[in-house]
Amino acid sequence: MSQLDILLLVLRVAFGAFVPLCFIAVLVWMERRGAAFFQDRSGPNRANIFGFRAAGLVQNLADAVKLITKEDVIPDHVKHKFYFVLAPVIVFCIALMSFAAVPFADVLVINGKEYIMQAIPTDLGILWFLALAGFAVYGIILAGWSSHNKYGVLGGLRAAAQVISYEIPMGLAIISALVVYGTVSLTEIAQFQGQLLFGFIPMWGVVLQPLGAIIFIVAAFAEANRTPFDLAEGESELVAGFHVEYSSMKFGMFFMGEYVAMFTSSAIIVTLYFGGYQLPWLTTETLVNHAGIVSFLLMLAVPAFAFLFSLWIRKNNKSHYDRPDDPRVREAQVYIKALWVLVGGIEVLLLFFMVLSGGAAANILVALLQIITFLVKTTLMCFVYVWVRWTLPRFRYDQLQSLGWQTLLPLSLLNILVTSAVVVALS
Amino acid sequence: MSGKVKVMERKGKDLYERLYLIEIFKGMAVTFGHFITNFLDNSKLYVRHYPEQKPEITARWRGRHRLTTHEDGTMKCVACFMCQTNCPAKCIMIEAGERSDGRTEKMPVRFDIDLLECIYCGYCVEACPMDAIRMDTGIFSVTGSERGSFVMGLNALLATPGAFTEEEYKKGGA
Repeated sequence: MSQLDILLLVLRVAFGAFVPLCFIAVLVWMERRGAAFFQDRSGPNRANIFGFRAAGLVQNLADAVKLITKEDVIPDHVKHKFYFVLAPVIVFCIALMSFAAVPFADVLVINGKEYIMQAIPTDLGILWFLALAGFAVYGIILAGWSSHNKYGVLGGLRAAAQVISYEIPMGLAIISALVVYGTVSLTEIAQFQGQLLFGFIPMWGVVLQPLGAIIFIVAAFAEANRTPFDLAEGESELVAGFHVEYSSMKFGMFFMGEYVAMFTSSAIIVTLYFGGYQLPWLTTETLVNHAGIVSFLLMLAVPAFAFLFSLWIRKNNKSHYDRPDDPRVREAQVYIKALWVLVGGIEVLLLFFMVLSGGAAANILVALLQIITFLVKTTLMCFVYVWVRWTLPRFRYDQLQSLGWQTLLPLSLLNILVTSAVVVALS
Repeated sequence: MSGKVKVMERKGKDLYERLYLIEIFKGMAVTFGHFITNFLDNSKLYVRHYPEQKPEITARWRGRHRLTTHEDGTMKCVACFMCQTNCPAKCIMIEAGERSDGRTEKMPVRFDIDLLECIYCGYCVEACPMDAIRMDTGIFSVTGSERGSFVMGLNALLATPGAFTEEEYKKGGA
């Protein structure tokens, strides 16, 4: 292994491990501020460090400090303390690991060597995700059972029943997607979606498999235990469900695990149905061959975007009541200066890529561009999760089961039939 | 004699609504409208920035108590014990003594209100024949770091001014 191999290995594993962790903070923030904006409130916007509130992100630090410094209680009635502690670890680690097989950029070619841009460069792809996604519910069941609490057990039972019912439509939706793509490797699936249908529509999974996409997204919501399917923690019936006996950072692990699972399933949805890292109409070859033009266009687009963003900051980061020498206006000025420094850095980097256009530099530029595309798409999908959570009320338990078994299951079977017939007829 | 029966139309049974997704998307459009308005201009939030922006208190609001005085500064209370007797929470403790300013015979030498016991029902104000106790200070937030600080004494009750003019208070129905 050359030094480059080792460097790329470390980079890819670090990406797979740390990006979901960073997204916990982003998603918790998005959930709280998003929920507030959906409900015409303002959300947590007071916590600050030296007056810098970072749009409410500092609140996450305060919450983390609170969770870590709280007393870590293991109730006396818990008989199997090992399983009690193990449960949140399972939930968190499984959610983190299932991101490992998701490609975040096209295969990177440097000096003629190919690097698959996944944390674990494997062809298992969707099978890896299916295996681990089914495993995550063990943590929830274990938590409910080992809490030795009726609400906990009920929450765990509900989670188990729900995941079993929704894994079937999810698996069947994936089967029809696999019939279309003809591979289980997520990198190849994403490459497939770079093609064009009839020469002008991006061949994304959602275009080829609209019904499958809907079934998969609904099932993914249920798998991630998010509203409208978060019966396992229905607070109006079950207090808090499976994590009712958990406190401090053990609760924190469940909490973070939920957001990592949300990020991971968004990433899978994006990879399977929304083109993964592909920019619509721009394949990897097109981008690599025109790297100079791409970086020139980016050099124009980045300051334009930054200008609009700075206008938005200036408009919204101010106090809405009379305040002498408004500290939020000064805060906004610091943010805008930091933004332009960042833009300057990006411009220098892009200039560097433009001068070096061709060879490895072009490939790296395209890889970076695709990583950003992938993260933006995943963030948008996570926003859909938040959006749905603050729009729909929770399902009743029997409604949940009848939706899973009587609607989604027949629909996904029908989808397989139709898809296979079309694929056979066309080939 | 039969009453008028109005038969409510049951919704959610036709195919359009049973498809469910269309209705979901309509709901999501509504919530997204709220989100994007607030996101693009957060001055549109229906929020009062509380500690800096105080709510408008009306004259009828039952806030923290105070004892009123005559124009010459002598207290109106005559220690008749009406408020203490009437108090459902038993939070008023009066000790009567001889009056020194010559207005009547009695006045309280001790008048304690335990704000942790008080339920802010306003019965003391209604019971008072002298209009001596009022809840018109406009103080709605009573905080303290120890229990003792919640017992308001005679001097503290006399020291707090009313938040409203006499006309406003009378208009409030007192």
